[in-house]
Amino acid sequence: MKELEKLLDRIIQRININLRELDYDVSPFIKKLIPLKQMVKFYAFYGITPNHSLNFVFRHSSLAGSYFLGKCRATNSILYKSDIRGDELKHRGDLFRYQKFEIPINRDEGIDIEDSYLIKTLVHNFSHDPETPEKFFIRDTVSTHYANIHGSPCDGCFLGPFATVDLTTTRDCVIGTFSYVQAGEVGHLNVGPGTVWVRNPGEFNFLYRYPLNRLNHYIDFIEGRPPQGFIMDFVEDRKEGFQRVFDTVNIEPSVPVPDNASLDRYAVIKPKTRISDNVLVAQRAYLQNAWLGQGANAQENCYIINSRLEGFDVTAHGAKIIEADLGENIFVGFNSFLRGLPKARLSVGKDSIIMPHTIIDIKKPLTIPPGHLVWGLITNPEELETNSMALKDFSRIDDGLIKGNMSFEGSGAGFVTAFRDRIHHILEANGAFFDGKKSRGHAQKNQNISFNTIQPYPDGELQGLYPAIVIQP
Amino acid sequence: MSNYLVKELMVPLSEYATVPEGSTLFDAVLALEKAQEEFDHTKYKHRGVLILDKDKRVIGKLGQLDVLRALEPKEEGLGEINGLNQFGFSSNFVQKLRQQLLMKATPFKDLCSIASRLRVEDFMQIPSEGEIIEQEASLEMAVMQLVTGHHISLLVTRDKEIIGILRLTDAFAAVFHTMKECEL
Repeated sequence: MKELEKLLDRIIQRININLRELDYDVSPFIKKLIPLKQMVKFYAFYGITPNHSLNFVFRHSSLAGSYFLGKCRATNSILYKSDIRGDELKHRGDLFRYQKFEIPINRDEGIDIEDSYLIKTLVHNFSHDPETPEKFFIRDTVSTHYANIHGSPCDGCFLGPFATVDLTTTRDCVIGTFSYVQAGEVGHLNVGPGTVWVRNPGEFNFLYRYPLNRLNHYIDFIEGRPPQGFIMDFVEDRKEGFQRVFDTVNIEPSVPVPDNASLDRYAVIKPKTRISDNVLVAQRAYLQNAWLGQGANAQENCYIINSRLEGFDVTAHGAKIIEADLGENIFVGFNSFLRGLPKARLSVGKDSIIMPHTIIDIKKPLTIPPGHLVWGLITNPEELETNSMALKDFSRIDDGLIKGNMSFEGSGAGFVTAFRDRIHHILEANGAFFDGKKSRGHAQKNQNISFNTIQPYPDGELQGLYPAIVIQP
Repeated sequence: MSNYLVKELMVPLSEYATVPEGSTLFDAVLALEKAQEEFDHTKYKHRGVLILDKDKRVIGKLGQLDVLRALEPKEEGLGEINGLNQFGFSSNFVQKLRQQLLMKATPFKDLCSIASRLRVEDFMQIPSEGEIIEQEASLEMAVMQLVTGHHISLLVTRDKEIIGILRLTDAFAAVFHTMKECEL
């Protein structure tokens, strides 16, 4: 295992060099975060479909429990139980529009991971960086439990647990625990824990910062200890369900799945779950007594428990919905945690947007009216009042607004339109609007995937590392 | 080289406002007022107070800005506003936010009353190496130190003991005088 230890030290050194300006040392956070012996325990696997590229190159890397789809490279990296999902990458011949530029794509885009350590991280979407439209790079970067790297090339970054970078080229940054950044391009920033930041320069700027003393109850990450807190416990308590699906070679769906819907074989499905037309359930999703109406989706690391989603609802990567009733067309953003109780259900009115990284945790029934924008930490009606606003009112903001811990500057209409367009795009990409002929998306394309497994050296100096592997058609 | 030496331009320690460590900000303000009345008859008033330890050695400087810093409201959120710049908010927006929070903050008079009882050690600046100059040094040397370090005064030493303070205004007056001489 000596080589793997050397590799980890090398990655730590590289990222510390990148973060020297911020005087940030990742070593105490990650050195012992995952015992390296774990890297031998789990196989890596990749998907083969007629609808996606098949192009994998792995060199001098450990890939334990990780999944690959599309065109992916990993060099000098450690990927632990991460999903590298390359099913939205650009193809040769595509035209990538960025501001006034129309950029022709000359070769298939690939996800290129180098000198990085990703723990239980989701990598998805495509590079939104106009400077590297054909390479979605992740270099000298460490990401920890349940982080999302979504359409965001990263260079020299540290992502805390449940952190998300979304459509943002990120260089030499620390993105704190449970922070969400969607800002186009950022560099040399230390974004504190519990920051939700959505910015389109010249158009709008949204910022919410969690009260840290309250956020720590849900998720907390300090040196020398694994992430802790209620959300972490919630996920850990359900780990067993995943062990079963990963240990079983052939697994049949336990619920009926319509022909136009997709249920990944690496999702956990508990009784009384209903899958309607055009539904997409991604791998590592967890459904228990979940009613998914037409066109709804549950993306990676989602948990939907004792809840009903009427239809065309987006449950973005890592979102959790418990004891809740959602009307149609509701967006629940990345890593949000919505928790009602059996006798105190959460009800979300149709056409509402729950911002990424929102926590709603209630002890008494709570109703969010239709067409609302909701953000931050909400445990009662008073906090809902502070941390929400009717979308039509939000659209009228043309200067700025400060509400509780939220600051907004710019055009509210621009902000709402951007979100609405994005939600529509997600539904479209997921195949929610498939009519039997047109608008095929992931729900239709991801139905028949073969999975192959690959294994590391079981012993010796190279224990835990995978041999150089090239997989192509 | 100019004809001026630092020791000819400095204010001797005995004519400058000083307070012993452990004093309050109010003591410091009173000492400053007293020094201005008793010693400082130029149009440029003393603007700082030196803090002395029990052996009468200078351990810190308290400027006007340091006193004002003590008046900053401590209300939740106000400190965080300063961090908004890194997130790309405009100065106008940040200013507006500050005003909004100040409306709810502790009244200014109450802040003054609270601040007057605070200890000088919590707000004084400990002199850095670049803020110290030998009494025999030339005006050019002093100017260079003031400019490169963005200081508003330098502590003047004789055999490593602080014996006075060279204010920016004193250095400037000497430069101005030299300029006039050159023109005539």
